[in-house]
Amino acid sequence: MPVRVAESSAPSQVSGANSGQTTPPACTLLSVGQAFSGTQNVSSSQKDEAWKVNVCIQGCDLEHGYLCGTMEALNVPMADTPVVTFWEGEIVDTKNYTFFTGKWEAKPEDDIRHWIKFPSFAPLLSQVEVDGGKSLDLSNCPYIFMRWKEQYFVNVGTDCGLTIAGFYYVCFSCSDGSINGFYYDPNSSPFQKLELKSTNEGRFSFSSYELQ
Amino acid sequence: MPTSASASPSATASASASSIAIAAGRNHSDLHARLISSDGEVQLKALRELKNRIIGNRTKKLLYIKLGLVPAVADIVASKAETIADHESSLLVQSAAVLGSFACGFDVGVRAVLDAGVFPYLFRLLSHPDEKVVDAGARSLRMIYQSKLAPKYDFLQDKNMDFLVSLLNCENENVTGLGASIIIHSCKSVAEQRALCRAGVLKKLISLLDGSLSQRDASLESLAAIIKNNVEAVSKFVESESTRALSSVIELTKDRYPRTRLLACICLIVIRNTSPCYLQDIGIKTKLVYLLLELHDDPGQVGDEASFAFSSLIAEKEDLQKLAFEANAIDKLYNHLQKGVLHPKRFQGILLALADLCSKLENCRSKFLSLKALNLVTNALNHDSSDVRAAACICLRSVSRSIKNLCAGHFMNEMIVFPLVQLLDDPCTSVQVAALSALGNIVIDFTTHRSAFVQCGGMKQLVQLTKSMDSTVRSNALRALRNLVFLAEKVCKEGIFLELTASSLASLVSDPEPFVQEQALGLIRNLVDGCMNSVEFIFSEDRIILDAVGRQLRNASKAEIGKQGMYVLNNVARGNELHKEAVMHQLIPQTDNGMQSFMIKFLQSNDGQLRTAAVWTVVNLTFPSSPGAFDRLVRLSNAGVVSQIESMANDPCLDVKLRVRTALGQFRTFGIGST
Amino acid sequence: MSLFWIVIRQLAEIEEMAVSKKVITREEWEKKLNDVKIRKEDMNKLVMNFLVTEGYVDAAEKFRLESGTEPDIDLATITDRMAVKKAVQCGNVEDAIEKVNDLNPEILDTNPQLFFHLQQQRLIELIRNGKVEEALEFAQEELAPRGEENQSFLEELERTVALLAFEDVSNCPVGELLDVSQRLKTASEVNAAILTSQSHEKDPKLPSLLKMLIWAQNQLDEKAAYPRINDLSTAMLEDPPI
Repeated sequence: MPVRVAESSAPSQVSGANSGQTTPPACTLLSVGQAFSGTQNVSSSQKDEAWKVNVCIQGCDLEHGYLCGTMEALNVPMADTPVVTFWEGEIVDTKNYTFFTGKWEAKPEDDIRHWIKFPSFAPLLSQVEVDGGKSLDLSNCPYIFMRWKEQYFVNVGTDCGLTIAGFYYVCFSCSDGSINGFYYDPNSSPFQKLELKSTNEGRFSFSSYELQ
Repeated sequence: MPTSASASPSATASASASSIAIAAGRNHSDLHARLISSDGEVQLKALRELKNRIIGNRTKKLLYIKLGLVPAVADIVASKAETIADHESSLLVQSAAVLGSFACGFDVGVRAVLDAGVFPYLFRLLSHPDEKVVDAGARSLRMIYQSKLAPKYDFLQDKNMDFLVSLLNCENENVTGLGASIIIHSCKSVAEQRALCRAGVLKKLISLLDGSLSQRDASLESLAAIIKNNVEAVSKFVESESTRALSSVIELTKDRYPRTRLLACICLIVIRNTSPCYLQDIGIKTKLVYLLLELHDDPGQVGDEASFAFSSLIAEKEDLQKLAFEANAIDKLYNHLQKGVLHPKRFQGILLALADLCSKLENCRSKFLSLKALNLVTNALNHDSSDVRAAACICLRSVSRSIKNLCAGHFMNEMIVFPLVQLLDDPCTSVQVAALSALGNIVIDFTTHRSAFVQCGGMKQLVQLTKSMDSTVRSNALRALRNLVFLAEKVCKEGIFLELTASSLASLVSDPEPFVQEQALGLIRNLVDGCMNSVEFIFSEDRIILDAVGRQLRNASKAEIGKQGMYVLNNVARGNELHKEAVMHQLIPQTDNGMQSFMIKFLQSNDGQLRTAAVWTVVNLTFPSSPGAFDRLVRLSNAGVVSQIESMANDPCLDVKLRVRTALGQFRTFGIGST
Repeated sequence: MSLFWIVIRQLAEIEEMAVSKKVITREEWEKKLNDVKIRKEDMNKLVMNFLVTEGYVDAAEKFRLESGTEPDIDLATITDRMAVKKAVQCGNVEDAIEKVNDLNPEILDTNPQLFFHLQQQRLIELIRNGKVEEALEFAQEELAPRGEENQSFLEELERTVALLAFEDVSNCPVGELLDVSQRLKTASEVNAAILTSQSHEKDPKLPSLLKMLIWAQNQLDEKAAYPRINDLSTAMLEDPPI
């Protein structure tokens, strides 16, 4: 996963003509090593009950619509230490994944209920209702829609009092690297909001690694 | 035992052990005397005796080669090759059989036979009037051609090609077999493949697919040699006789003989790998996967070779890896690995097949890890055979591509890392390189286990290897160090920097090999990222590294080098005023000799990622709240950078477009640029 | 092969038809059998294949003349093959090895397992004849190097040499090596290797067809009562018990 993405300098194809080939932009702010910090609200109603969250991107494979990283939650009510989880993301690129989750107990209605909370999703809604967005061309869209699913606890046991049964609907802004998300788990409180900002604003730096 | 019954019927079965020993000793020297006897009958008996002693017995072959019997036998062939008397025929048959046995699957024997100068005489036997002599001669030559040591056959000479075709047209199975063996041995270049096609050899070989067992096998193997990597030859083969030839090969994958099945599979794989447009049918692909997995059950050579064929089927092909995963390939290969002591060839093959299976798909890697196959592979790191050690490293390299498991710290432990670090010293370079590439992945450890790696001496070893004479080793060592410092703590970076030194890092940036330069720049890029005083690394020893980076960027020929170098400057440019000015110094040299800044070249590059890196650097240099931003902006403007960026407002690459927008926004706060 | 498919298809048909055990009368059965067309030449080939593979050269020759079926192998090679087989069966292993080498020197050069088994048989014969010293010498000179090349050979060699440790081999745990059956085993291994080298199948087709017949009848027994072949030597259809 040395992040070398095919050059996309040619004007993108008209939607539908070549939709199978479109890939989301390789956004440098979403590359490996990029870090974000912000908060997650525990419930949608009580704004004050929030914990601090740090996210770091660890892996990225655009060809497979794959992204992964760690999420650190600080001042979690139940836990004595910060809790770190590892998550894997599905990038909605209409090739590998569409807006419809099709698993994790999320029905298309649940999907739309969450996606619609992102203002940038509004123009896509009508098409998504038809086919999950399969025929959309997102190659020039300045937002990247994703689902982040936590896979395991990195530093604590499963008895840490937290669950990772659900997943996040995520919207990433390519212009400023800000991230918004909503946690979905039928058995947890609904619409827990995740708000993150790129940590290196004004001082942009980029590391990279190369797998062989 | 001492003498064969037919050679000396008088040899008593009741001879005591001591007399046997004496007889054996006598017979060894005595055999030579009898072989050079002037009496044909004596010679014939000696030949038969020799033949029956060496067949199947490698120890005896070696012994008699040392005793110099091969030249004596060769002399018989040379002196009688042209004679046609009956008893001379028997002499020729027996001596050819002896020479063939010496050469059978035994390179020392092949060397001895070739050194005896008998090779051209054996060819002469092929035109002997006695069918038995022809048969024996062809068989011997076939044995020789099965060795790499056999001289290369020159197909490009017309008379040679005519002779080869005459061999293939012969009725005798050993003679056609010889023709095929020659093709398998010597057909390597496209020119040779073409010449063989032109001479109609394909057609002849296709007809041999209906022949006897040995003809079928020989034909399959030579077909593969002729069409390998040759699109033209493949289509000629596939489309010949309205795809009947292809159907025959497909049919032979169901043959009752495992070797035939394997060769038919290999032939199909060659077709597919050469021209992916053929054999796209999922049925055939699945069948090949199952067949090759099944052939692993063969206890002999076929089972050993099946892994290599399987690898060539799935390597680099995700669709086939998926099919193999669904066919439980990982479990099946793992079961073979568990079967106690394996032949090194088989061990190597299975490890490489697992490596290919785990090269792309995460579910394959998960399956592999869930089977605890990792233990078997780490044990193989200490195997006696260097091929097995290298294969084990390559397997670990594939599995450690899993970010999910790297994050969980599943590879960074003593069991795996210690033996790998030891292999960095391996006498065999291929093992060294393979161990290095596996370690390169494993050190991307997002937890805090990096110190363990440093403590076991791994880091020092890597630094040593950046000084290797072998450029691949240098590049791999740098890549591993680059990955090791990815998001690492300051202490870790300091340790590496101290060990590596600024001057040697600077000279690696200027390495003669571009791929080494690229990794060196990648390492520096990661080194200066992170906490603010990491930037200082690049300023030690009188900015020797920074100057080297600047020099490399001015001469950069490859976009990859431009990218890595530009990100070095970008990461420095996010620092304090001093840092930013140092970057400006590289971008716009003080002495204006009319040279265009490389910044302009990069901004105009065809590579979107390079353009992005360049714009990011400008964004960092002109961040409005830094005191010298305005001054720098003016200088950039004078150098043409600002107007270049303005012209990029509608860059086709979204990432570039968005960064340009940020830059233009910053320019505007200083009132520079169009509105 | 084609027979097999017919049986399978009929089995499937029967399975569809009968939930309880169906009774098929002799008339019905024979009518069905008559519908199955088997070419005479195929039957002849089957017989010839058996005679050739098993090495009945005289019978094969006679059958060729009577039925006009050409054997798929030179009948002369059968004589050679039988001579080899016989030599092993009589304990004349050295003679057998020489004959194999005359026939085709590649066989033993490319088949280490067979070569080892023949040498092992030679050792067994020496032990059988009480030539202890000679046996030890032979084991050391000829067999030990093979054992070094292959772990499983070494184990077999150790087992064989163990014969020497027992006064009374009839009570010896590896005594079966001295049985005639061991000779037959080795002989059939050589026979198979020669056949393979002649591109011929190493087992005749007829016995496996008969095995298939028995299997098919057993399968069918669970579903139907029908005229059955109980005696394979007569192939008489016996009426189902009613």
